Amino acid sequence: MRYSDLGIGALLLFFSLLAPGFLNNYQLSFLLQVLMMVTLAQSWNLISGMTGYISFGHGVFFGVGAYTGALLLMGGAFWWVAILSAALLAAALALPLGLLTLRLRGPYFAIAMLGLNEVGRILANLWVDLTGGGDGIALSPLLSPVLATNYFSMLALAVLATLGMGWILRSRFGLELRAIREDEEAAEMLGIDTIRNKLIAFTASALLPGAAGAIYAFYTSFIDPSSVFLPALNVQMIVVVLLGGRGTLWGPVLGAVLLMSVQELTWAEFPALHLALLGLLMILLVLYLPDGLLGAWKRIGSRYG
Amino acid sequence: MSAPPLLHLQQLDASYGPIQVLFSVQLEVQPGEIVALIGPNGAGKSTVIKSIIGLVRVLRGQIRLAGREITGMATHHAPLHGIGYVPQGRILFARMTVRENLEMGAFLQQDPRERRRLVEEVLDQFPQLAARAQVLAGHLSGGEQQMLAIGRSLMMRPKLLMLDEPSLGLSPKYVDQIFAQLLVLRDQGHTLLMVEQNAARALEIADRGYVLELGRNRFADRASALLENEAVRRLYLGGV
Repeated sequence: MRYSDLGIGALLLFFSLLAPGFLNNYQLSFLLQVLMMVTLAQSWNLISGMTGYISFGHGVFFGVGAYTGALLLMGGAFWWVAILSAALLAAALALPLGLLTLRLRGPYFAIAMLGLNEVGRILANLWVDLTGGGDGIALSPLLSPVLATNYFSMLALAVLATLGMGWILRSRFGLELRAIREDEEAAEMLGIDTIRNKLIAFTASALLPGAAGAIYAFYTSFIDPSSVFLPALNVQMIVVVLLGGRGTLWGPVLGAVLLMSVQELTWAEFPALHLALLGLLMILLVLYLPDGLLGAWKRIGSRYG
Repeated sequence: MSAPPLLHLQQLDASYGPIQVLFSVQLEVQPGEIVALIGPNGAGKSTVIKSIIGLVRVLRGQIRLAGREITGMATHHAPLHGIGYVPQGRILFARMTVRENLEMGAFLQQDPRERRRLVEEVLDQFPQLAARAQVLAGHLSGGEQQMLAIGRSLMMRPKLLMLDEPSLGLSPKYVDQIFAQLLVLRDQGHTLLMVEQNAARALEIADRGYVLELGRNRFADRASALLENEAVRRLYLGGV
């Protein structure tokens, strides 16, 4: 990571660490959600931003994590054990999935992921014995960690995600992933084991949404299939990365802050319109700002700088 | 000749999924020669190259490189075995510069100083590329892109260089340049196996040639002899 990146990171971290001291519960909740979106967006950035394999269903790992976390907490596990287990289970699910879909080039992976989120939601609805079906799971406030704890857990995840991304962007592994995005066949011919790299990126990218899902479950104390296998969540993480700049370090952070702020302001007024606006935003970004705000900033900088 | 050929295909059968494309193909490449693989569309010329580097499944038969069996190897191991490959359509990293594309060619070379040295070496060999080292590969002309693809494949100092249709889609001027460059490479000691639609041109620079038809060996001879061969002329060279 460059010094400027470390500087920005330290500043953001400093503010985030002090935030519980001077924000009220509503504001802290909002910040927690921003951090959650940073985490999700970085994980999407790792597989889709870096390799170009677009996942339309990364929320499935969030949903699996949410149910794992909630069930383990009810079963008497420590909250941090529940979070870790949620992360590992999500990754354990990603590995065989990646083995099946990432060996093929082209749209297969995107289509599989699109379907997978729905499979998760339907399973959660039908497996009543385990998940409570459509009634969902309500966590007793006595079991769940308090808001500040959840906030700091989510902050730790977001920091971990961003640090991990910073390291990958500078590493040989990151270069291999970008070579796959630019041209997979060429990468293969030059000696890059593309299948292994894609699998590692995909499996690693499932860890963080798994953990985030568990913390989210603790935070809301109530989950049901349609709230954690939420199609809109998949769209949100994609829009956040595209808005900020895919394959960049700060793009997902910038995108998360912007999108969540705009949503917070418009959500209450136009609840139905808000999803349509997301779709419109995605189309506009792909057409006019394919490199996101950071990409546009860099272009302007290199033109006048 | 007592030493084994650099490349030796024996009784090679290969398929795309359920459809068999190659039937018992035989082929030899000796060190330091240019071998041209020609034949009509759908003869399986490209498939031969692709089965050597593991892009196509080999059903039966053997592929040996300098006596060592490499049948069915993983594609990403090709550079380690000393095989350079210039694919059809010059697959480059379009959004990287010429220099960066060359650097990617030595991806397996861990030492950055050695990698820079290799880049300079290739740029010396292709003055046209040296002049455009900072240009994005996607902005080059077709001929320059082909030069770059060849240059990139030379970065790992391959023992065998395989080219799939190097003249495809190029203007006649660039075809001349590319073929001249291939002769220079041979004179420097490189070994080349080339698949070419433009059979007459390929045989003019090649030492030996193989004619493939419907996935089977049809003719094999010195290139000059193939150019003289009545049947080959009539069927494949469009001659009279």
